Amino acid sequence: MVKIDESTKVDSAVEAAIKEIFNGDKPWVTIVWDDPVNLMTYVTYVLMELFGYTREKAHELMMKVHTEGKAVVSTGSREEMEHDVARLHEYGLWATLQRGDQAL
Amino acid sequence: MTPHDSDEQHGFHRHGDNAFVAEFSESEREVLINLVEQIIELLAERTDNHVDDPLAAMVGITTHDTPPDDEVLLRLLPNAYADQVDAAEFRRYTESTLRAKKYAHSMSMRMGLKSAVDGIIEVDHDGANDWLGAMNDIRLALGVRLNVEQNSHDELELLAPDDPMRGVYAVYSWLGWLQESLIVALMDEGI
Repeated sequence: MVKIDESTKVDSAVEAAIKEIFNGDKPWVTIVWDDPVNLMTYVTYVLMELFGYTREKAHELMMKVHTEGKAVVSTGSREEMEHDVARLHEYGLWATLQRGDQAL
Repeated sequence: MTPHDSDEQHGFHRHGDNAFVAEFSESEREVLINLVEQIIELLAERTDNHVDDPLAAMVGITTHDTPPDDEVLLRLLPNAYADQVDAAEFRRYTESTLRAKKYAHSMSMRMGLKSAVDGIIEVDHDGANDWLGAMNDIRLALGVRLNVEQNSHDELELLAPDDPMRGVYAVYSWLGWLQESLIVALMDEGI
């Protein structure tokens, strides 16, 4: 028989894993895709404006988009990611959302 | 990248805390008005036909659940999901809002250009964001027509002088430079 006693430590990593299992709303991501038209400075600026990222963080994400073809720019519930994608589309960035556990 | 902020060229400059100023020649102003009006027309073409349900119309649900056939419109109103069913559902509930926002950006830019005195445009931070969104939509539209996806900048530079696309490319490049000048001015405030 399996028992949970004092020797079974539920540490923070386990707690996080359990939380993720129950929190079905969380694992969604917004992806920005590389686009030959959008200026590098523009992508950086839009990420700063829409997400409140520092210039450093926005620049880093923009460079990831530029060099790797795509980058996850935000994570959250499906509704939150739909909101983020809509705002990115408003400013002409090429963005999609998907489950975080799906292959990019 | 496009060059920016040379003294001989115009483009946007920061004036004080929350003003961004540019001066355009009459021909530049006409080109910009012409371009932004074409975006406005293009967006207006994709109307919400057959919205019989007044409640649906009121809350912005459109009848469009398929992506636009037109390549330019498709780039301006892209799919939000790779999955076609999810993309259609999302489009049905959000596309008219997206169109309205893009329309508002372009109308703001058009209004500024139309009311400019001596070719001088002055915008605040929000107005600048309208301009950036509208200029970007124009560049996206021109980019589709120039097929920048396939053609390198070097190839586009080598277009024959009588090729109408050469002029389009010149406008596209100029807009990129103008957009960049506004971004540089905005970033100066250390947001």
